[in-house]
Amino acid sequence: MHEFLAQLVNGISLGGIYALIALGYTMVYGIIGLINFAHGDVYTLGSFFALTILTALGVSGELHGVALVVDVAIALIGAALLCGIVGVLIERLAYRRLRNAPRLAPLITAIGVSFILENIMQVWKGPSPVSFPAVVPNPSIAVAGVAIGAQQILLVGLAVVMMVGLQLFIHNTRLGRAMRATAQDRDAAQLMGININKTIMLTFLIGSALAGVAGFVSGVYYQSTWFFNGFGAGLKAFTAAVLGGIGNIGGAMLGGFLIGIIESFATWKFGGQWSNVTVFAILILVLVFRPSGLLGEAVFERA
Amino acid sequence: MIYVYFLVAIAIVVAAQRVGNLRAKRGLYFALGVALLCAPIFDRNDATFNVLADAGIFVILALGLNIVVGYAGLLDLGYAAFFAIGAYTYAMMASPQFNLHLPFWLLLFLAAAFAALFGIILGAPTLRLRGDYLAIVTLGFGEIVPQIFQNLTKYTGGPNGIGALDFPSFFGRSFGQNTIPYYYVVLGLIALVLLFANNLRDSRLGRAWMAIREDELAARHMGINTTAVKLAAFALGASFSGLAGVVFAAKLSLVSPDLFQFQVSVLIVSMLVLGGMGNVPGVVVGALVLVLVNNVVLPQANVIAANVGLHVDFGNYHFFIYGAILVAIMLFRPEGLLPSRQRKEELHHAAA
Amino acid sequence: MRLILATAALAALTACSGNSSGTKTNTTTTTSAVTAAPSPATAGTVVKIGIDLPLSGGDASVGISTEQGALLAIEQMQKSMPRGFTLQGVAVDDAVQGVHNPEQGAANVRSFISDNAVLAVVGPYNSNVARAQIPVTNAASMAQIGPSVVADNLTLGPEAKQLRRTNPNLITFFRVCTTDSRQGSALAQFAQSLGYKRAYIIDDNETYGLDLADRFEKDFTADGGTVLARDHLAKNTQDFKALLLKVAAAKPDVVFFGGVTSTGGGLLRKQMYGVGLGKVAYFGGDGIADLATVAGAQADGSYYTLAAPNAEKLPAAQAFVKAYRARYSSDIGPYSANAYAAAQVAANAVIRAIGKGGGVPSRADVVARVATTKIETPIGSISFDKNGDVTNPVLSLYGFKNGQSYFIRQIQLKL
Repeated sequence: MHEFLAQLVNGISLGGIYALIALGYTMVYGIIGLINFAHGDVYTLGSFFALTILTALGVSGELHGVALVVDVAIALIGAALLCGIVGVLIERLAYRRLRNAPRLAPLITAIGVSFILENIMQVWKGPSPVSFPAVVPNPSIAVAGVAIGAQQILLVGLAVVMMVGLQLFIHNTRLGRAMRATAQDRDAAQLMGININKTIMLTFLIGSALAGVAGFVSGVYYQSTWFFNGFGAGLKAFTAAVLGGIGNIGGAMLGGFLIGIIESFATWKFGGQWSNVTVFAILILVLVFRPSGLLGEAVFERA
Repeated sequence: MIYVYFLVAIAIVVAAQRVGNLRAKRGLYFALGVALLCAPIFDRNDATFNVLADAGIFVILALGLNIVVGYAGLLDLGYAAFFAIGAYTYAMMASPQFNLHLPFWLLLFLAAAFAALFGIILGAPTLRLRGDYLAIVTLGFGEIVPQIFQNLTKYTGGPNGIGALDFPSFFGRSFGQNTIPYYYVVLGLIALVLLFANNLRDSRLGRAWMAIREDELAARHMGINTTAVKLAAFALGASFSGLAGVVFAAKLSLVSPDLFQFQVSVLIVSMLVLGGMGNVPGVVVGALVLVLVNNVVLPQANVIAANVGLHVDFGNYHFFIYGAILVAIMLFRPEGLLPSRQRKEELHHAAA
Repeated sequence: MRLILATAALAALTACSGNSSGTKTNTTTTTSAVTAAPSPATAGTVVKIGIDLPLSGGDASVGISTEQGALLAIEQMQKSMPRGFTLQGVAVDDAVQGVHNPEQGAANVRSFISDNAVLAVVGPYNSNVARAQIPVTNAASMAQIGPSVVADNLTLGPEAKQLRRTNPNLITFFRVCTTDSRQGSALAQFAQSLGYKRAYIIDDNETYGLDLADRFEKDFTADGGTVLARDHLAKNTQDFKALLLKVAAAKPDVVFFGGVTSTGGGLLRKQMYGVGLGKVAYFGGDGIADLATVAGAQADGSYYTLAAPNAEKLPAAQAFVKAYRARYSSDIGPYSANAYAAAQVAANAVIRAIGKGGGVPSRADVVARVATTKIETPIGSISFDKNGDVTNPVLSLYGFKNGQSYFIRQIQLKL
């Protein structure tokens, strides 16, 4: 029982990171129907940006008090902003031209972008994992004998806050409505006076910024990062988005947590070497038997 | 010297693609064929034919994937899985692993059949998915297969893989460690695969593939059994990959799961994108160019750099090269460098 | 017109007949470094030693310092070459897409074999590359000397026999380092000496790591320890906490990791702190020698062996360490001294094979001379047993303190 709970807590924390990444996946897919394969690499890029910012601030260990709040805020917002910009640039340079091309063209381009980003990061920080400072203190409380760290609570809380914020933004603001309109019928939206380019840009900005947040969080949580993290994490986050119902923001969150928990339990019960196989098998099974995912209806309904 | 082979082969294929005259075209291909067949008589450099055989294996892989992606328009991102299945078929049935020593030639067929079977098993439930979902499913499959080979240590040797595979033999004469016999096997297989690929393209099935690629709904309304036709593409494409896997495994005399990762699948997709999806000569050129870059130019550049004290790690730029090819070609020349006339018109027509 | 083109192409193809230059080789002429060589004018016949190592990607940092060790030996051995001979080192890279690749390794030794001037090969770095190369070098009777490949089954047991099936009775593969089993047993003994009885064993599910973990498991159990469980890491993942929760529940005295830092060894150590295992000892082989690059001060409490003596400590190595620093203005890498010794063995065999006759020796001659090697090197005196392993294997044991690795002691294993 104790081990079960410990694995559950671990799975939920891991799932929080997947959920943050999955949000961006689901938004972009919901609005322009593109599997942004490079999204996982933007996530890794986020941890690299955060690391660079922290290094520039002279942070190398745990922070406390005002410094903790200020430095973490700078690194978090900085990473999110830079990732957002990268996301917008990627859309502008690599995807916009292909908006009306056959469906597979932008997917192939996205894979290309993913490889380019991985390569840039590999050259930037080297081919081996890089250490990330443990900026956020991690005192733990015991619940039913299971230690839960402050970082874990913050991580999951952040994921939920981001999800709710995004949900509110999309349903209650003008820009959010523009996004939904663009998703439903791009031409009609344009006729109604919505600036499609701006809306899609905004989508990439927000989605990539969320990946940046996830990158920062994972850097702190694992105290390390690696240029190739985005490939595995991105695929799992995509699986999460599909499992929850791609295009559905609540679904991305649900899928994220589920995948985290499944991965944790698969490692526990079948051994570490089977955890990836289990997750990818779920990806295949969901796509084959329930392509609309658990929550079905997408927030962004597409024509 | 290896450059000469590659450049001449590429030049001839490009020239043949450009000439309109059918006789000149045939003449060029005939000349290339004769030159390739005779080359080992004059040049006995084992290492050269090793690289050429590798290049040929990738030509087979690219031609196989071309049926799936180029003809039928189904993006398969896990094609290396079938390559692995072919290679492991040979490794498990012609090695001390289970003390089975089936002949190479039989296993060529068996592996092709196996790979085709897996193509059908994967394809049957997934082919009704939309294109991008299918791509991701195949990617998942491509991730799972090598990991299963890696984890089932008892049967597959785990991460060590299986070594000391049987040398193939031809009328009782073992290939041994020479690469030239493999080179001839590869040439033979390329000829076979080319024959298939060309005839299929112009067959009823080939026209059905292209109809699906252009508009699946319309194709279905025209009475095409889209599922069966797509499955045929998957099975045939996979079987070519199985053939390539057998030769690859036999030549290296070793299989291990790390040889069949996602990067291999992307490499083959890049070959298609570069050369021109759907066009056989284009695909061949794409494969040759990338093998040349990957197996010859980059390692050489790397060592040259290392030895003048410049540790510019050219080996680190593989990802960048594939990525740049995929992006640049899709953006600026989606039909590839050497497209078929038909495809070019389709794409430009669609854009207009 | 078209026909002319075709004929030209044919002519071009046939023109390359007879040329035997390898494909991916770049000749590092050592003459640039040894311009002070006594009589360059007499340097007529060139003989080469091939060097195959991962020079790019993840292994490059170790690969390059290993390569430099070998090249330094070749430069210095130049002086001892018989009149009329020049010795060259030819280095090639066996990494593809940043990862050492068995297929590339096999292609590399094939190109060495195609070059008649290459008489011996130093390399590779990784055991699974060796498994693809040994059958090829064995068939060509080419001596191959590994500086760092530790998998047992390259020289021992039925698998080794299968690797050399073309010439079953000819040993062509030698190594100057020790083997996994010896690393495993040294670590098992050391763990026992620290009073550790309960081990949890994890490997990265790759060739080297799996073998090493197997050996540790066997020896640790044989010495009376308890192996609580055995597990494997997932690929391309950064979260090992689920696995470590299992480990924590088993309450081990020591966690043994078979694998390398970059495949998860570093993250595993780091994340042990997150599940209350920070105080538990962490053991590994030479693959975690660079543990601190990822784990920093959290590497403390970890121990590893190198399948080599500590060159900085051996008196015989002082000259080498100095020369290396002078030549490359950097410190030696973990396997530089081994590579130096391997190249020394190869060059020494070539020199003896040239002997009084003065002609270019055959590769078989060189192999025979390698087998009877008896020379002093920076890693001690080297000779080989009937399997191609060193008769006098030396290991060094290291630990981590304040995020720095420190030398504990040398372990001399008797056969």
